[in-house]
Amino acid sequence: MRDPGSNLGSDLGSDHGSREIWREYWLRGRRSAAFVFGLTVTLALVAVALLSLIWTPYPVDVMNIPAKLQPPSAAHWLGTDQFGRDVLSRLIGGAVNSLAVSLVAVGIGAGLGVPLGALAAARRGLVEEVVMRFNDFTFAFPALLSAVMITAILGPGAINSIIAIGIFNIPVFARLTRGAALSLWQRDFVMAARVAGKGRTRITAEHILPNIASLLIVQMTIQFALAILAEAGLSYLGLGTQPPAPSWGKMLNEAQTLMVLAPHLAIFPGVAIMVTVLGLNLLGDGLRDLLDPRLRRQR
Amino acid sequence: MSLLSVRDLSVKLGPAPILEAVSFDLAAGGSLGIVGESGCGKSMTALAIMGLLPEGARASGEIVFEGEDLLALSEAELCRIRGRRLAMVFQEPMTALNPVKTIGFQVAEGLRWHLGLARGDAEARAVKLLDRVGLPQPRFSPGLYPHQLSGGQRQRVVIAMALACEPALLIADEPTTALDVTSQAAILDLLAEVAEEAGLALVLITHDLAVVWQNTAAMLVMYAGRVVERGATAAVFQRMAHPYTRGLLAASPGALDAPLPAGRRFATIPGTVPDPRHRPAGCVFAGRCPRVQDDCLPAQPADFAIDGHAVACLHPHREETPL
Amino acid sequence: MALFLLQRLAALVITLLVASLVVFLVMEVLPGDPASIMLGMNARPDTLAALREQMGLNEPAVTRYLTWIGGLVTGDLGTSVTYGVPVWELVRERLSLSLPLALLAILLSTVLAIPLGVLAAAKRGRATDVGVMGFTQLGIAVPNFWFAILLILLFAVHWQVLPAGGFAGWEEGVWPALQSLLLPAVALALPQAAILARVTRSSVLETLGEDYVRTARAKGLTRSAALWRHAVRNALIPVVTIMGLQFSFLLAGTIIIENVFYLPGLGRLIFQAIAQHDLIVVKDLVILLAAAVIVVNFVVDLLYAVLDPRLRGRSAP
Repeated sequence: MRDPGSNLGSDLGSDHGSREIWREYWLRGRRSAAFVFGLTVTLALVAVALLSLIWTPYPVDVMNIPAKLQPPSAAHWLGTDQFGRDVLSRLIGGAVNSLAVSLVAVGIGAGLGVPLGALAAARRGLVEEVVMRFNDFTFAFPALLSAVMITAILGPGAINSIIAIGIFNIPVFARLTRGAALSLWQRDFVMAARVAGKGRTRITAEHILPNIASLLIVQMTIQFALAILAEAGLSYLGLGTQPPAPSWGKMLNEAQTLMVLAPHLAIFPGVAIMVTVLGLNLLGDGLRDLLDPRLRRQR
Repeated sequence: MSLLSVRDLSVKLGPAPILEAVSFDLAAGGSLGIVGESGCGKSMTALAIMGLLPEGARASGEIVFEGEDLLALSEAELCRIRGRRLAMVFQEPMTALNPVKTIGFQVAEGLRWHLGLARGDAEARAVKLLDRVGLPQPRFSPGLYPHQLSGGQRQRVVIAMALACEPALLIADEPTTALDVTSQAAILDLLAEVAEEAGLALVLITHDLAVVWQNTAAMLVMYAGRVVERGATAAVFQRMAHPYTRGLLAASPGALDAPLPAGRRFATIPGTVPDPRHRPAGCVFAGRCPRVQDDCLPAQPADFAIDGHAVACLHPHREETPL
Repeated sequence: MALFLLQRLAALVITLLVASLVVFLVMEVLPGDPASIMLGMNARPDTLAALREQMGLNEPAVTRYLTWIGGLVTGDLGTSVTYGVPVWELVRERLSLSLPLALLAILLSTVLAIPLGVLAAAKRGRATDVGVMGFTQLGIAVPNFWFAILLILLFAVHWQVLPAGGFAGWEEGVWPALQSLLLPAVALALPQAAILARVTRSSVLETLGEDYVRTARAKGLTRSAALWRHAVRNALIPVVTIMGLQFSFLLAGTIIIENVFYLPGLGRLIFQAIAQHDLIVVKDLVILLAAAVIVVNFVVDLLYAVLDPRLRGRSAP
């Protein structure tokens, strides 16, 4: 629990990464209901988000005051908000925002965390000590508190919430990468590469990273789900994406004041967040079951 | 009437047959050794008698203990017998005790559970039991935790737990395998002593023929889930009719103070125990047997009596063939 | 054992010092001059300068850091710029809401999660297990502030049995105060409970496979007696660690949940202080919350020794 890297990483097989293995994963994955559900939801969401870039049922941010606060109907499937905007269209537009913010934030976390973790594992000594102390230290600060602080310093907005969420993904990936990489450095095929005279950087690129790729993909999926929740929280507090751009968290914030008049406004954005996070978590769990070599042996 | 009578006991784990047609009897106060390589079904036999088979395992046949067929009893009825009339000592003393409970509590637990003793009474009895198994006060306070004891000392605690409710039968599954040589002898002596003293019957499971020879009156030799040779310990050692028994003896480490027929020894039995899912149709030992002949392959040989004991082999060692 | 304690305490103090340094540096970067915020946009330059002098803003950073730390240690947290009262008073007042809220949430999540986790493990693979695991997946996926809104819709708007927000205050009696904390606590507890139940389940499953559980069964204990008396206690050891880590999430959760329910607690105070650039309050609160997280995890480490006698030091007979 403390070090997920050691769970998976220590059991990673020999130097693989070939196409057949991924094909095998795919064949096995189709048999897991959770995995199929997670993958379907995630892909559907990405598709809807992409679609919204060129088309939504109604314009996302054009107001139509006479049609405000309508309950769900044939014309507006999920009703309209206090400015008469179509809720479904805004949800679809919000998907782009949620996914983009989370994707970039996780990208920042993995992009900086993985090299740091790999460096710590390859160099050991002082470098490792510094990286790991930095990691321990960030655990003392509740992530959302720090995110609130960072957005408060930099000002609210989508970019700054990306930075805030991204920063707190760095130690997660650094820790995971280091744990998994450390055990790989002890393996025979890495020893062989060292004996052959390859440098640490080259070994990391050729042997370490390909072997922990599956582990990182699983973690990215899970962090992605957490980032969706964090982004929603920040926008709910008014620190994330700013109006009039649609965002799920902000929609819930606005809905709260209109709860008595139009409860539907408070339902659908939450459902959207829940389904997205659920899909990503199930996808992550499914991937883990597929990629965890310990489970593979049991089958 | 015998205390324990096992008839045609078979255990399947999923589709795989783990035990096949195991039968034996044990009289009250008697002792029985079960010997064989790892994976031959010794421990499974013990767990089947205790009713503690792993999930997914199904037992058939009869295990008559004190006149009741254990396999026909409900779980609740089994819980009344387990630990009360029927007790077990496990192979791994390092993990058999709960690390967060004191040894006094763990010894007293059975007394409180089965006999309804009050906490104080049970703990007073526990102290006596600990003393009996060689863990005297005040050096071995009942307030100690398992990690404060050595492996041999922990095994003594496990034995004290097993003896707590004065059972009629004690099953010891490789009780000394995990211990160092000096503790091994001491634990075996202790088991023999307490069994004799309390008049309880002892089933001693081991892979070591020397242990069987020294501690039991009767024995079974098991191979691949079957009993291949059984009888009085002296008779089995005298004849060593089954080629597998001879192989085991030759593979036994150290000297054995048994009356060995002089002769050649082979250090190991070539090959391994066949996977339960892929056991051959005929004699299960045929693939590794130095005496295998054509008629061994079609059908599993039935037991037949030879010199006062039974052997499941078509071509047993009958005479004083040199080993 | 004493040495172990000393080492842990030293590490604790060092972590706190580093945390305070980071918080201080971050606050240095934060734009905005406390003195001008206090006096407003139209303040005269000379009054501003006088106030700056009085607040010690002209001192070098090192001096101000040391003054701040000295104040923290002696219990003088400074004075809030926007509220004009000592920060310590603010904290004490807000804590009388936030602490009971946090404790209630921890209580609810523990009472819910541990039995569910044990139950799921005991019924592994059956309908109960699948149901509990499905519930926890939902619990993790539901954002707590949305769950809070749903609770308000249901209990405050639809059934009108509990208040939609605000805090009655303890002066009005325990029951009204508890009523206003109940929905927030449930909202905070749900995601925690979901995670905790999953951790409990896997931990119990692991201990159920241990030899000593089989030993207990061999003594004649029924399946459930062996589970509760021998497996659960051992399984709780890792669960306690997770509860310690969750405390940090709980604090973060209060920032958002107190905003949903308009509760004047610490979380809302820190959120408002940041918005109003009340730097002294922000600085103090952040370091206090970080200290709370660090201390809680320290206590959890000590709790380990209570739960696991193997850590109490070895005294071989």
